[in-house]
Amino acid sequence: MKKMRVILIDDERLAREELRRMLDAYPDFEIVAESANAEEAAQLIEKHQPDLILLDIQMPGKSGFDLLEMLPQVPEVIFVTAYNQYAVKAFETDALDYVVKPVRGERFSKVIEKVRNKISRTPSPQQQLFVKDGNKCYFIRLDEIYLIESMENYARLYFRDITTYLKRSLNQLETELDPAVFFRINRSQIINTNFIKHIEQAENGRLGITLRDGKLLQVSERQSVKFKSNNRLKTKFN
Amino acid sequence: MFDLVIGIGVTHVYRQLAHSRLWTQLNLSQLFRVILPAIIITGIIYAVLIVIKNYCARLLFDLHFESSLIVAFQRNFLTLLATGIRLMAIWILAFHLYHYAMMQIRIAEENARLQLAAKEAQLNNLSAQLNPHFFFNSLNSIKALVASDPEGARRAIDLLSELLRNSLYQRDNILISLNEEMALVNDYLELEKMRFEDRLHYQIDIDKELENWLVLPLSIQTLVENAIKHGIAKSINGGLIKIEVNEFDSILKIMVQNPGELKNEEQANGLGLKNLQSRLTLQYGDRASLILTQLPGEIASAVLHIPVAS
Repeated sequence: MKKMRVILIDDERLAREELRRMLDAYPDFEIVAESANAEEAAQLIEKHQPDLILLDIQMPGKSGFDLLEMLPQVPEVIFVTAYNQYAVKAFETDALDYVVKPVRGERFSKVIEKVRNKISRTPSPQQQLFVKDGNKCYFIRLDEIYLIESMENYARLYFRDITTYLKRSLNQLETELDPAVFFRINRSQIINTNFIKHIEQAENGRLGITLRDGKLLQVSERQSVKFKSNNRLKTKFN
Repeated sequence: MFDLVIGIGVTHVYRQLAHSRLWTQLNLSQLFRVILPAIIITGIIYAVLIVIKNYCARLLFDLHFESSLIVAFQRNFLTLLATGIRLMAIWILAFHLYHYAMMQIRIAEENARLQLAAKEAQLNNLSAQLNPHFFFNSLNSIKALVASDPEGARRAIDLLSELLRNSLYQRDNILISLNEEMALVNDYLELEKMRFEDRLHYQIDIDKELENWLVLPLSIQTLVENAIKHGIAKSINGGLIKIEVNEFDSILKIMVQNPGELKNEEQANGLGLKNLQSRLTLQYGDRASLILTQLPGEIASAVLHIPVAS
């Protein structure tokens, strides 16, 4: 059986040592790296592409939340914190799994079980982004995002019935997203092609795309040409 | 017209005297002992001045006037004295009534402020003690040490017990010696050193002669905890915590420095420091001060001044 690959991230050596010991009890988890700060951890995650990270929220320099926001692709996360549980709950997210230090064995095993289920249910790992918007945290699966708009240095993400902001440029996001699903329709918008309701062509050849939520978007001339040629190859649209 | 000038002159001199001798801050019975003679004396001065003024005026303007000053006194003094005393009594009583009322208002305000500080200290009582994060992080370190370094774990439990004892059994407003406070600070630092390892260095410089000075329990500890929270825990490479205690002019100066930029809202408004501030107010009124400053070379400094406690 393929082992789940884990990275430990906590600024205190003893805290990492303790997590390592706890994880020893679960032979299907393998620790591939550990890190004491967010900058280093980001590189290690990029390099090892782990299935799971155990992440301390309070760290020097960048926090655990900051780290997740930097990642183009966020693995499963278990937050580890010395805060009390009410303080963690204040971050208002259903997707957030956390344990408080020192971690009780029973609690740890529950969280591990949850991660096992989640990872085994989806054979190919679900790509996701993380956004912290004030007190709210979101793990956003890429297939939930239907529109991304450029807002200066930020990207405005539309997903479910929520909009939020990610501190990343549209150009950067474009390179990170799957080109088979996401298409840049003009200078300031990227759409998820799975959310297209219908497409109209104007007389000048430019396309207008209506999304499932009813938004009508204009495709630039250049991108209209590109879109048409892309899709003629796939014969998805006539 | 001249009577008015004399009246104002006399009362003005009295006003200066009353302010310089702090008569405005006396309580009622002390005040009466001052007011009665004051009224009589100012009344006499007033009468004398008026008699002299009248005499001089007649001397100047009435060419046929040939009476002596003594005769003038015999003729008018008693009537003028009665007027003087009446005028001065009204004025002095009004003056003291005003200041007495103002003093009462000030006292009421001060009491309200102290009560508020006491309330605040009471409300924050739990957090005035050691920070709960610190306990959980320490327990987590100990849990790891139990397996990897049992001797270290045993030592850590001893230190933590001592800190817990001090924190849980701390009685309000009992001062402890600088020596006792520093023993606690040393335990605290040793424990944090286990946690932060090479990120935490510290240097303590205290004049031996000061070790029996009295300080608020957990006052220096609060400053050190704050210094670690902002200077060490938030820095990847950590740095040096410097503690210096010295005395100047019967004022104890306690300085704690940590590396880092002082972000006013964050470092100065933490619950720990706010609490220390209200405990200081309760204990010393406005005779103690706590000041945070940014020093060159990215060093934040907290300086606590407290008076000698009797």
